[in-house]
Order: sequence, then structure tokens, then C-alpha cells
Amino acid sequence: MTIVSGKAEARRTLQSARSDVLRKMWEHRADYAYVLPAIAVMLIVIAYPIYYTIELSFFNTPPGLQLRDKIFVGLNNYTAILTSGVFWQVTFNTLIWTVASTFFSFVLGFAAALALHRDFIGRGVLRAILIIPWVISAVAASYIWKWIYHSDFGIIGAVLVELGWAERPPNFIDSVSTVLPSLIVVNIWREFPFAMIMMTAGLQTVPEPLLRAAKVDGANAWQRFWHVTFPHLRNVSTVTILLLAVANFNSFIIPWIMTGGGPSNASHIWITHIYELAFGRQRWGVASAYSVLLFIILMTLGYFYVRALSGNERKDGGA
Amino acid sequence: MAHVVLKDLVKTYGSFKAVNDVSLTVNDGEFVALVGPSGCGKTTTLNLVAGLISVTSGDIVIGDRVVNDLDPKDRDIAMVFQNYALYPQKSVYMNLAFPLQMRKLPKDEIDRKVREAARVLDMTQLLERKPRELSGGQQQRVALGRALVRDPAVFLMDEPLSNLDAKLRVQMRSEIKRFHQDLKATIIYVTHDQLEAVTMADRMAVMNGGYLQQYDSPAQVFAHPANMFVASFVGSPAMSLIPLEASTANGGAVLTSAEGWSLALSPRNAQKVARATTRKVVLGARHSTIKLHKSAIADAIPAKAYTVEPTGDVTFVQAFLSGAIVNISVSPNVAIAPDEQIWLEFDQERIHLFDSETEVALEAS
Ligand SMILES: Nc1ncnc2c1ncn2[C@@H]1O[C@H](COP(=O)(O)OP(=O)(O)OP(=O)(O)O)[C@@H](O)[C@H]1O
Ligand SMILES: [Mg+2]
Repeated sequence: MTIVSGKAEARRTLQSARSDVLRKMWEHRADYAYVLPAIAVMLIVIAYPIYYTIELSFFNTPPGLQLRDKIFVGLNNYTAILTSGVFWQVTFNTLIWTVASTFFSFVLGFAAALALHRDFIGRGVLRAILIIPWVISAVAASYIWKWIYHSDFGIIGAVLVELGWAERPPNFIDSVSTVLPSLIVVNIWREFPFAMIMMTAGLQTVPEPLLRAAKVDGANAWQRFWHVTFPHLRNVSTVTILLLAVANFNSFIIPWIMTGGGPSNASHIWITHIYELAFGRQRWGVASAYSVLLFIILMTLGYFYVRALSGNERKDGGA
Repeated sequence: MAHVVLKDLVKTYGSFKAVNDVSLTVNDGEFVALVGPSGCGKTTTLNLVAGLISVTSGDIVIGDRVVNDLDPKDRDIAMVFQNYALYPQKSVYMNLAFPLQMRKLPKDEIDRKVREAARVLDMTQLLERKPRELSGGQQQRVALGRALVRDPAVFLMDEPLSNLDAKLRVQMRSEIKRFHQDLKATIIYVTHDQLEAVTMADRMAVMNGGYLQQYDSPAQVFAHPANMFVASFVGSPAMSLIPLEASTANGGAVLTSAEGWSLALSPRNAQKVARATTRKVVLGARHSTIKLHKSAIADAIPAKAYTVEPTGDVTFVQAFLSGAIVNISVSPNVAIAPDEQIWLEFDQERIHLFDSETEVALEAS
């Protein structure tokens, strides 16, 4: 008897809990109405494409057929990708590209922020100049650098030859071995100002009394940096690095405009490769499968980003 | 431990003089309070001694060395900051150990000194915590401990108690005083709270506008303020300062108010007034030296009670005399209503007389 009544009670509390939620939702019906248009737009422009991409990744779309004549192939696209040599080359390129660009942009930006933290005449002008690469259009920058690197007319090649350091202008972006590093240099040049801005903002929040205390405690400039400034910048560093990493993983403009992924895939990274598969070769299914994989990877990065951010809040709240 | 000498110390920011010709000597083992209103240059003076800012002119001597050109770390000083300035990412233990690590002491010695300091300050159980997990008073103690482990020649403290609530402040006040007595430490202590200075210091240096106003024991500063600024700054409620006109007649002297009443001065006070270069004299009297009468008596001055503030042990009465506010303290069983007619009697032995132009105290001889 008791058991039965216990069950009945549990059901009743469950029911009341459910009706409680429903009642609360009903009370807030106006609020739901307010966000409805936004949700509808989101569903159309984000959720549906995601769904459609996932669906397409299980189909084959031979060239010449219409998209609606697609053929279901199960996981074939995925297995094809994972067993192809190009996939591994592009993945390797993407890793090099992301890690090197992120690392050097951060280090360079941090160094610039530190150098420009001390007050001196012309600091404002210098800061403004250093931000230029970040504010000019990436497309324009890519074209400019294409010319700078050009093996016949490029200025770097000309200077090297003039100085007698090279017989003839090097093939920066026409050679398989140098193309990726050359593009990474452009990318770093373009995004180190972002790291500089972030770290400058961080530096300005380092409490002056702490630096003074460290001075009295006998710390030299390097020790003050290591024991006071750097720990204080840990959170802003994490966020900067994550933002850079996500942006680099998603890079498209610089490699696409400067080399289109060539020569022989040496500068293809994921996004350019997907773009070429989809819009160059109309292989929608494979491109979609690639996109799904990329989506999973980026969501993982995004998770860490959010965690780093909320970690900040927890710390600030506790302090 | 060491003594500290400031000689004609000047610090200017552009054309602004933050510290003006300050000269004073802090004896070995002495507790000196640097006190004055906000912006008077206390922190600047302390930072000069610490070496955190450079002197414009003048000398700073610690021990037997002129330290003007030495880095803070070479001056053998420790400093306690207003906001504690604890390293937030380090545990209490590491905060205490930091100055020793920077001086490359061996690990076991660091450990011994840190634990000793923690024991003295009664925070052994807090060693593993981070500063943000401590209360204000505990953080304050860690800041004190970080100065203590080093065993420096001089302790510099910049308003170390100003962030604490009133009760904790009183408690920490006696703890710091105790700490000074136990260690016989040389301490320069900055505060804008004159009560803190009076209760803690062997000598207090009162500053205003970058100038040193008076440097003496709290008792002397209290009994013989050098000028009107010191008179009104030290003591609470503030000393009443009443502007009057002096006149001499057949050997005696009288102070006359524009309101019509006058006060005959004792021979000694008459002598002070006679030596003044001006006829405009300011009469100063502390609340406890003024007697309040509810009926007219000889030599008492009539006034009207303006406000009455009972505080428990004592009731403060405010009245206007010659346009100045006068504070009087009376025993709480004296019943006085606002606007009631009262008579005030000044104690000739304990009044102060100031030159109203130079604001300097008048001396007898
Ligand atoms: N770096 C600076 N540049 C210009 N003026 C300064 C600078 N530092 C301090 N001052 C000025 O010097 C004067 C004295 O400052 P200081 O910090 O010594 O005051 P303080 O007596 O410690 O006051 P508080 O009780 O408010 O801490 C102030 O008027 C202040 O504006
Ligand atoms: Mg100050």
C-alpha cells in the first residue's frame, strides 16, 4: 500500500512540477513572443543550413545531375575523406597554419603591446601605424602581398638580388616548400595587431600598487613581469589565443586569393579545400561531410572558449 | 633597525610642489606618524623614502647612507600598501616568501621565516589560501607579514588600516602598536586619521599643502599646536577658533568681539598678545576646556546653544560666537535645549592664541 501510494505521490509531484513549468511558460508568453521573430530568422539562416549540410553529407551529387537527383551513399563520403591523401595533407596544412599563425601573432602582438606600454613620445602614432594591417581589407592585403612575393616583380626578391644575397628572386608562393610559410607570414602580419590591442587593454589593468610592492620586495624588471604582469594577463591571453585560433582555423581570404590552395594543394587549408570541392568541383556531398567535421572541431574549440570566459567571471566575482 | 633623516626634501610635478622642504629625523626604533588631509603629500613623502619616485632635491638618509640614488630593493625598507597589494595568484605562503625568494635566501631559511611570521601574526592556518579567500583584516595581516619576514631597517606603511571597518581598525591599531613595541622597529606610518596618529605614534609629523606644519609628540602637538591648521586638524571635535580684536589698556589686555562682548586676558596671555604684530587675534579653545553655565556668572560670555548632540558618555553642544562655531562638551546629565541661553567660560591656562594673519601660535616669551 505504502509503495503504491509512494508511486502515486511521485507521479503527482512530477505532474505538478510539469504543470508548474507550463504555468511559468504561460506567464511569460509575451516574452516568448518577443524573441519569436529572432528565433525564426535564426532557424532559417542557421539551423536549416546546418541541417541541410548534414543531410547532404550522406549523399552523392555527380556533376551533371541536379542537386535534387542526389544519391544516398551512407557514410561513403566520410570514409572517402578519411582515406584520401589530400585530406591528411590539408589537415596537416591547417594545423601548421593555425598553430604557427596563432603562436607568432600572439607573441608578436604581446611583445608590441609591452614595447608600447611605456610612455614615450610618438607612442600614439606608432600604435596607430601598427594597427593598419588589421584594419585594411584582407582582400587588398592579399593582392598587395602577392605582388610583394612575386618572383619576377616582387620587391623582396628584388632587394635580395640587389644585396647579392640571392642569384635570382626566390619563388615564395610558387614553390611547394615555401608557399605555406610565406602565407603564414602574411597572416601573422595581418592579425598580430589584434593580439596587440587585446594585450594592451590587459596591460592597462595591471594594478600599479602590485608592481610597486614587487619593486620594494626586490624583484627586477623581468621578475616583476613574470610574477605580477604575466599572471594578471593569463585570462586575457587565453581568450586572445582562442579567438586567434578559431579565426585562423576558419581562414579563407589570404590563401584563396594568393594561391587558391596551390601549388599542388601545398597551401590548401580546410576552408579553401571545402570551398573548392563545393563551388569549384560541385562535389557537394564530400564538401558537406568536410563541413560537418569542421563544425565538430570548431564547436569543441568554442566550448573551451566559453569555459575560459566563464572562468574569468568566476574569478572576478570571487575577488 | 636604523634611523631615517629627511633633509630639505622637495618633490615637484611640473610646477606643482607636492612636497616642500620637508626636514625631519626619525630615531632608531621610533614610530612616526605622517598625518594630514588628503592630497597634502603624505604618500609622496613615503614613496620618496621608499625610492618608488625620485627626489627633486634634498637628501634621504637611512641608517648612515644617503639613499637618494638607491633602488627600493637596496634601501633595506619594507612597505605596507593601502590596498595591501597582495599577489592575487599566489598563496599566503608564497606572498610571504616572495621578498625572501627575490633575495635568493635558501629554501629552508625561507620556510622558517615564513612560518615564524605566520605564527607571530596568528595566521598559520591561512598559509595555503589565496588572498581573495581572506577577509580584509586577514589580508591586512598578510601585508604586514610580508613586510615583517624581511626584518628590514625601516617599515613604511601607507594608510594600512583605511580599508577596514571601524571595529577592525581599532583592533589592528593596537596590533600594529604591539608589533612596534615587540620589534622595536623604526616605522613611518601614513594616515589621514589624526586619531590613529595620536594613539599610535611616538611623534607625529603634521603636513598640509606639502609643508611640514609641526613635528612633535602627540601630547605636545595636542597641547601646543604650532598654528591654526594643526590646532583645527588634531583633536575631535575640532578646536574652536574665534576671531577677535585685541586691545591693551593699563597693562592688561582685552579681546573684543564684534558682537560686543569682551574677554579680559590673564597676564601671561596678555604678554602673548602684546608681542603680536597684529591686533587681529584668534582665540582657540578645545571643547573640554570650555565651561558651560546655565546662568550668568562673572567673566562668562553669553551665547545661544545651536545644536545638542548626546553621544552617551558626553554631550556636545555647538554655539555661535563671533561668527565661529564653538564646540563644548558637557556631562550627559546637563539638560540643554537648542536655542537655550548659555554662558561660556574659557580656561585662561588652556586657551590658545593665534596671529590671524600668519595663523601662527602666539608665544609668551
Ligand atoms: N604623479 C603625479 N603627478 C602629478 N601630481 C601628483 C602625482 N602624484 C601625486 N600628485 C599630487 O601631489 C599631491 C600629494 O599627493 P599624495 O598622494 O602624496 O597625497 P596624500 O597626502 O597621500 O593624500 P591621500 O590622503 O589622499 O592619499 C596631490 O595634490 C596630488 O595630486
Ligand atoms: Mg596617500
